[in-house]
Amino acid sequence: MRIVDTKGQLCPAPLIAAKKALKETIAGESFIVLTDNQTSFDNLSRFLKDNKADFQVSESAGVWSLTVTRSDNDLVQIRPEDYCAPKIPHFQQGNYIVVISSDKMGEGDDELGHLLMINYIKALKDLDKLPRKIVFYNNGVKLATKSSPAIEHLRDLEKMGVELMLCATCVNYYCLETVIGVGAVSNMYTITETMAASDKVIKP
Amino acid sequence: MSKKVDLLQMVEYGGCSAKISPNQLEEILKYLPLPKDPNILVDIDTHDDAGVYKVNNDLALVLTTDFFPPVCSDPYEFGQIAAANSISDVYAMGGDPVLALNIMMFPAAKLPMEAYADILKGGFDKATEAGVRIIGGHTIDDFPPKYGLAVVGYIHPEKVITNAGARPGDSLILTKPIGTGIILAGHRLGMVSDDDLTEAKRLMKLLNKTGAEVMKKFNIRGATDITGFGLAGHALKMAKASRVSIRITMKEVPLIGNSYNLIDDGCIPGASFRNLEYVEKDTDFASDLDYNLKMIAFDAQTSGGLLFSAPDEKVNEILEDLHTAGLQNSKVIGNVSEYKDKFIHLF
Repeated sequence: MRIVDTKGQLCPAPLIAAKKALKETIAGESFIVLTDNQTSFDNLSRFLKDNKADFQVSESAGVWSLTVTRSDNDLVQIRPEDYCAPKIPHFQQGNYIVVISSDKMGEGDDELGHLLMINYIKALKDLDKLPRKIVFYNNGVKLATKSSPAIEHLRDLEKMGVELMLCATCVNYYCLETVIGVGAVSNMYTITETMAASDKVIKP
Repeated sequence: MSKKVDLLQMVEYGGCSAKISPNQLEEILKYLPLPKDPNILVDIDTHDDAGVYKVNNDLALVLTTDFFPPVCSDPYEFGQIAAANSISDVYAMGGDPVLALNIMMFPAAKLPMEAYADILKGGFDKATEAGVRIIGGHTIDDFPPKYGLAVVGYIHPEKVITNAGARPGDSLILTKPIGTGIILAGHRLGMVSDDDLTEAKRLMKLLNKTGAEVMKKFNIRGATDITGFGLAGHALKMAKASRVSIRITMKEVPLIGNSYNLIDDGCIPGASFRNLEYVEKDTDFASDLDYNLKMIAFDAQTSGGLLFSAPDEKVNEILEDLHTAGLQNSKVIGNVSEYKDKFIHLF
């Protein structure tokens, strides 16, 4: 694994080295940043967190080692079709959000449940007032993967102005970082805040 | 000519980046009782740039001091910048600086005495430009070197401009571009062009005198200068003292040279993180705020510009005056509103 040794360097030199490594790393790959300065370590941690890079820390003999893994947030953002496809303009949105906690709708046969969920997402597009946001957690995040049968509907919704929030912990837990095809990962605080700020929360 | 002195070789953090963390400072100041005296018009209670003491109904004194380690290699330029920065606090309060004392820490065994003389000469020349007489000072043998002034200014007791004077509905005007902290840090790592460094030094040497004259002409009541706590940090002090919310549109904030790209390369000085920690609990960050622009809001400035709150209807006239006076980068970067949710809203 690539090692970026910033021992003996003071801020912002370690940040510059980390940012450079981050830019040169492809999704799913990891590298290690070493520092022996408490302030540099604090600032690196904050910097990586703010840039939504996953990292793990270990320390021995006064040297911190940050193992940074590049998630594919950036790749989601630079999907070329986003730039090529025209935006679908002017859809009304209500002050409500939809929460999708499973890739199935209702209880019963799994296959039927899954089919219903895809149809539900498709039907959302036809509402007079679209939801402001759709939040995905637990099994729900699987609907936002590239191979999901709901992916095209979700991309349409996104283009219509609906924000799609994916629970970051869930994406990581199911190891979907590299296959997410729509939406943006978000933390539990933002998800909680979004739900609390909404007039109505719909859970199919 | 004697051997060229490079002051930057002596310091890890220069200029206002060397300030103690604002959080720590607030903790410590809690234990210091504020003196009670009706003649004290402004004290650290509102975290203002300087103290103001009323002498009689027509005269009050503005007192301030500031000193820091080198921000550039050349001793003469360092002297100029440090003096401009020290005097700036008087301008930010709407006062006329009059007298000053030198404050110097100088490693006599490590640096030639010419460097000592050059720093003082730079300070003297800048003070003279501001109409300030330096009438004494104090030097301690210390490493690394540090320099600044203690300044006294005159002001009319009823014309004091403070952090507490921002009113809802006002627009916020900034008179100098931001980015000295980023440029100086980048320079030490060889990432900055000569042009950008020269521009940053020109801005740091530039007195806030002309900006202050425009403020006075338009009877501005709320202002501060942007220094070590960064744009957002000083805006927060203003918002708290005025009990208002301040909204800053980062895309509107003028930047020095390549500052944005430097930040994008990770060149974020340590002081920015200290300032971020101080400000973030009182700040609402727009969800789509660009990370680089966000961090620029926390960049510690050395001898930065004035930030003042101006009634909307006068803004065009004020900007015209500032531009004519040579402050071409002066711009409206935000506005003031009734307090809502958080003191600072960064967009």
